[in-house]
Amino acid sequence: MPAPNLPKLCGADIELGNFVLGPERFRTTCYEAARAVLRRIEGISSGWAAPSWTENSARGWGASAWRPASQTSLDSYYDSGRSRSYRWSEYYQEWGRKFLPANGGCAYIDLDHLELCLPEVLSAWDHVAAWHAMLRIARRALEEANREQPPGRRICLLVNNSDGRGNSYGSHLNFLLTRHAWDSIFDRKLHHLLFLASYQVSSVILTGQGKVGAENGAPPARFQLSQRADFFEVLFGSQTTHRRPIVNSRDEPLCGFLPAAARLHVIFFDNTLSPMACLLKVGVMQILLAMLEAERVRPDLILDDPLEALACFSRDPALQARARMVTGAEYTALELQWRFLEEARRFADQGGCEGVVPRAAEILSHWEDTLGRLEKRDWDSLARRLDWVLKLLLVERALQQRPRLDWDAPEIKHLDHAYSDLAEGLYWSCEAGGLIEPVVGAAEIERFLCEPPEDTRAWTRAMLLRSAPEAVESVDWDRICFRVRGPHYWPHYRTIYLDNPLGWTRRTSQPAFSQGGKLTDVLDALAPGGQPPAAPASRATGGTAHETARSV
Amino acid sequence: MRLRDRSEDDDLRQATPRPSEGPGADSLAQARQRADELLRAADEAIRRALSTDSQRFLQANRQQGGQ
Repeated sequence: MPAPNLPKLCGADIELGNFVLGPERFRTTCYEAARAVLRRIEGISSGWAAPSWTENSARGWGASAWRPASQTSLDSYYDSGRSRSYRWSEYYQEWGRKFLPANGGCAYIDLDHLELCLPEVLSAWDHVAAWHAMLRIARRALEEANREQPPGRRICLLVNNSDGRGNSYGSHLNFLLTRHAWDSIFDRKLHHLLFLASYQVSSVILTGQGKVGAENGAPPARFQLSQRADFFEVLFGSQTTHRRPIVNSRDEPLCGFLPAAARLHVIFFDNTLSPMACLLKVGVMQILLAMLEAERVRPDLILDDPLEALACFSRDPALQARARMVTGAEYTALELQWRFLEEARRFADQGGCEGVVPRAAEILSHWEDTLGRLEKRDWDSLARRLDWVLKLLLVERALQQRPRLDWDAPEIKHLDHAYSDLAEGLYWSCEAGGLIEPVVGAAEIERFLCEPPEDTRAWTRAMLLRSAPEAVESVDWDRICFRVRGPHYWPHYRTIYLDNPLGWTRRTSQPAFSQGGKLTDVLDALAPGGQPPAAPASRATGGTAHETARSV
Repeated sequence: MRLRDRSEDDDLRQATPRPSEGPGADSLAQARQRADELLRAADEAIRRALSTDSQRFLQANRQQGGQ
């Protein structure tokens, strides 16, 4: 029997392209650029200083001295099967992690890329707002960093996933999942994994950012829907920096020691900017994962070869390429998406999304509407909601206006990158010009610049960080350790475990902060005897939020 | 899986967006005009990007592999 569904809480850890334009150098300027921007993002150090990787050692070694070993050993570590108890932040590939009291997210440098981590959210709409808020935070930091650059130098941040020269960096989503469902996907029921892979592969028609050209040894292409398609080489696996899998099996719950909860680490998708693409990317995955938890898997929707289908779909902006299913039928990506929608709608009509996927009916409606526009090849309206369509229209417009250019011209690849340039990219010009279809209001984005989501543990994390920033000894997604005054000379340490990502909401925690007491009073009120405060009835099981994650 | 057999010319043709299948010619023309006006919002950004040295940009953009 499958365990009861868990609300499809979503996080995201997203790497950006970064470099300094101006200096002529043989080595890259990634680390230099990322560090200059990160320094200007306000946050509290996570405190998990890696023993072999400090700012001083970074200066001494240079940015490239340590990388090959770290990449190899990182994936080797996860491949070794010991990852469940492992903490990402303790590894020396990352530097400078800081948590943001503003909204409960964090930022750091991962393998020389500025990485923005969104606070946990329940709703796909909140994901969209939080994502664009984090981009605004990064942009402000970028502007400050660039003001201090010498003449002729400019730091560039690109919200994309590949440099066009064979290097890719991730846009990862994370979803709360029952341990039972996680085990089914990776350890027990291969058709569950294939169902998920088939959905993801066909979803590039919604979630691709678009890319000029091909790389990583893939066959030539003028334009692809997906930035990342060229980099997926295996069906599943725990590695993320080489031989990337369509479905990632990294098992890092970040839920303390809750045995019944897992976190699906999704490395498949592109960085999207258009709000509707962002909404569909997260919202539809929430529904698909709820279906997997409920074991609503249709074997006839499984692709015969998801990797080959991905290469095929990504290279087909006309949406006419077909891929074979295990049943022998052949579907286009669009036809396959219609079938997933049909099954998802049936699942939702039977109540499968209730208490699990906020505003599921609206997600389904937007999904259907977008597929309908793709069916009609209504490119003009699709440009307002899908990045790959907008990018393709802009590139073709540039080609039309400049007959001397062709698809292989460096200027065209330049435009591909310039689309997502955080400072003055094509996307932002379109947004400012009113071309982009809004999904959330400006006020909602503004809110996540300075407030955390109220319905996840991100709220309590942010409030605790604000309460006593000077006392934070270390902080991670599921715990904060404070250095508090002891009865004698020596300080002592108190750790509060935020292990239930669905708990520690504003509703449950605010009373502890409202009393206006000392840090120790707040901690006592939050977790008397080490226990969290009583929570309201959970939407999932009717128990308390804390009990929910423990009991499934 | 069988890919459709397509020539390079087919690829180019298919990559070119086709007209919308709107309810009527008038609304279609209006929609395209609106889209054209809106896409003009990006013209300045395209011009600005291409006013810099693209080769140099691409060279500087070289990234380290990430996750």
